[in-house]
Amino acid sequence: MQIDQKTMEQIISLVLKQIAGQTGGLADATAKNDNMSEHTFCEGYLPAKKSTNPKEVVIGVGPAFQSKIQHTINGLNLSEVLKNIKAGIEEEDMIPRVIKIQKTSDLCFMALEGAKLSGSGIGIGVQSKGTAVIHQKDLYPLSNLELFPQAPLMTLELYRAIGKNAAKYAKGEKVTPIMGKNDPMVRAKYQVKAALMHIKETEQINPDLPYIEWR
Amino acid sequence: MKQSIRAKVLKERPVNQDGFINEWPEMGFIAMSGPYDPKPSVRIVNGCITELDGKKREEFDFIDQFIADHAIQISQAEASMQLTSLEIARKIVDINTSRKEVLKIVSGITPAKMSEVINYLNVVEMMMGMQKMRARKTPSIQAHITNLKDDPVQIAADAAEGALRGFREEETTVGVTRYAPFNAIALLIGSQAGRKGVLTQCAVEEATELELGIRGFTTYAETISVYGTEKVFIDGDDTPYSKAFLNAAYASRGLKTRFTSGAGSEVLMGAAEKKSMLYLEVRCLYVTKGAGSQGVQNGSVSCIGVAASVPAGIREVMGENLAAALLGLECASSNDQSFTNSDLRRSARTMLQFLPGTDFIFSGYAAEPNYDNLFAGSNFDAEDFDDYNVLQRDMQVDGGLRPVNDEEVIRVRRTAAKAIQAVFLYLGLPKITDEQVEAATYAHGSHDTESRDAAADLIAIEDMWKRGITGVDLVKALAESGFEELAESILNMLKQRVIGDYLQTSAILDETFKVCSGVNQPNDYAGPGTGYRLEGNRWEEIKAIPHIIDPDNF
Repeated sequence: MQIDQKTMEQIISLVLKQIAGQTGGLADATAKNDNMSEHTFCEGYLPAKKSTNPKEVVIGVGPAFQSKIQHTINGLNLSEVLKNIKAGIEEEDMIPRVIKIQKTSDLCFMALEGAKLSGSGIGIGVQSKGTAVIHQKDLYPLSNLELFPQAPLMTLELYRAIGKNAAKYAKGEKVTPIMGKNDPMVRAKYQVKAALMHIKETEQINPDLPYIEWR
Repeated sequence: MKQSIRAKVLKERPVNQDGFINEWPEMGFIAMSGPYDPKPSVRIVNGCITELDGKKREEFDFIDQFIADHAIQISQAEASMQLTSLEIARKIVDINTSRKEVLKIVSGITPAKMSEVINYLNVVEMMMGMQKMRARKTPSIQAHITNLKDDPVQIAADAAEGALRGFREEETTVGVTRYAPFNAIALLIGSQAGRKGVLTQCAVEEATELELGIRGFTTYAETISVYGTEKVFIDGDDTPYSKAFLNAAYASRGLKTRFTSGAGSEVLMGAAEKKSMLYLEVRCLYVTKGAGSQGVQNGSVSCIGVAASVPAGIREVMGENLAAALLGLECASSNDQSFTNSDLRRSARTMLQFLPGTDFIFSGYAAEPNYDNLFAGSNFDAEDFDDYNVLQRDMQVDGGLRPVNDEEVIRVRRTAAKAIQAVFLYLGLPKITDEQVEAATYAHGSHDTESRDAAADLIAIEDMWKRGITGVDLVKALAESGFEELAESILNMLKQRVIGDYLQTSAILDETFKVCSGVNQPNDYAGPGTGYRLEGNRWEEIKAIPHIIDPDNF
């Protein structure tokens, strides 16, 4: 089993490298015409459609996610973050789908857009710096089901729990919200870093690009 | 290089865990006097502003247009703009120029001019300005009442104790959004159990917050956020006009409101358009005024980590508080968010508002331990109560709080917890046990309380919301459960909505539900011997801190 998984990971990493290579090449080609090279690349990815599968939970990620930014504000690898959210959803027998939202870097809007495309109407938003929210398609944009505003306190276990809870909402179960975490000194230590990361993410916004099916 | 032992000691000091950054105006990391800030100018044709701070009307973004059309006294503009910024700055600190005269001059200046005026003042001059320009004669203070569990019993108990200690406004928010109605109800009832006439709010998503107000679960609102660049407004699906509309919606239901803005929000959203934090905040204040709000919560607020990271950032924070007061707005002057690991630094930052006094020195002093503060920590918390009381006593300054004894504290906490228990029972909400009441009565924070079944509470909240429960139902529940006095107080708070006097600038209520505002109790400071002086009963109250040496015991 372990060998299988390792082999799988090797294959995935090879494929990813190949994709990365392609994007680099194509981006260069378009660079002359406009400033596409500065933006997250989307060619080679399918535009995301609204699904009707009620078992599905969408994870909406930010424009710099796994392109310009690879790690959250406290150093968690974004591929590990996604892996854990997906695992949480799958544990509840539901199906994760990742969509990259390139029109906004606002967490609630990326989650809400995800929720609207999601077959179950439940979406999870994750900014590249790690801030996360569980949203539902019929809520006000700045409302939510559960919000995790302090990115520096996030852990992979917590992301997994978020996936699990989102899946439970999708199933219509009675859900106990995840107990919040709070560090009153988080602003002193991290707010400047958060601003810099958010600037980086916001620079990747391109309102002309469609939502795309991410990895 | 070999490091000295002292350098090592210094490196480990709390202040060196804070985040600092050099000025970077291109990304908005600049507190005041930005190199790209516009120069003041105004041109008026047929009573219409056709040029504002170097921009022609056709180049206006929607913020410029809103300000030009709604926030500047056009009949005053040409006269005010003829004065130099330095002259206006000097009038602000001159005790021979009255508050009224300064208000009149400032009503005709543009945002860039306001920015320039503030740039001329050092922090002591800003404090002198605030002492004179604050709207209400007596300063006041607001509390945050929250906890990690969103436990309504603890909210009620903390609200009661907060009210007893002197907070005249109390604000809650939620860990889980859907808890909002319970938090609002617990805060409303608990606060009146501590001291009558405290105003309460629940900071959540705007539409939900408005409905909480309409139902009578809150008595004011504060989180109508505005921004200094068009981009940030648009990202939030908003415009100055939509905010003005929301403000009017609250006013139409007789609810006190203030806007919120502050340095660093545009930087944090990645859209500062190369402008300084001060200039952008001044634009926010003009939008606030133009939208007809009586006041603002400002002073960087939740973005204080950004403002505090750049040179002169804390000076800028006081500068924007003063700018609000100069526009005649009620100023709830922040101090409500932790921003530093250093006790020295956080105390010094608060002195700028504490010493001159503002309408609300804190727009959220954590009246619970900071680990329970769901605004991610306030600059002062429940563990600083005695420090704060001593600061008032040391300097003979009225910071709005008072020493209390534990017996009174326990009494009001228990009353509040029992009242919310009775209301829950009456309304058929999930039971509050005697153990929960007892734990909340004696608790310091949520580590000491009994946990509730959150999932069951959330289902009950949804149902209660659908049943259309309002403030009147709370009054009935209290009256019929033996809490007549408390029922009367809640009814009195609801009556304010019909009377409407507390919509006036900088209004708070006293313990007999009478309004004290910038209108019936205006600040009349005009130098030594005038204005608000801490004396008489209030001074005696502040002097009487608990831990005092008794000479008879020697």
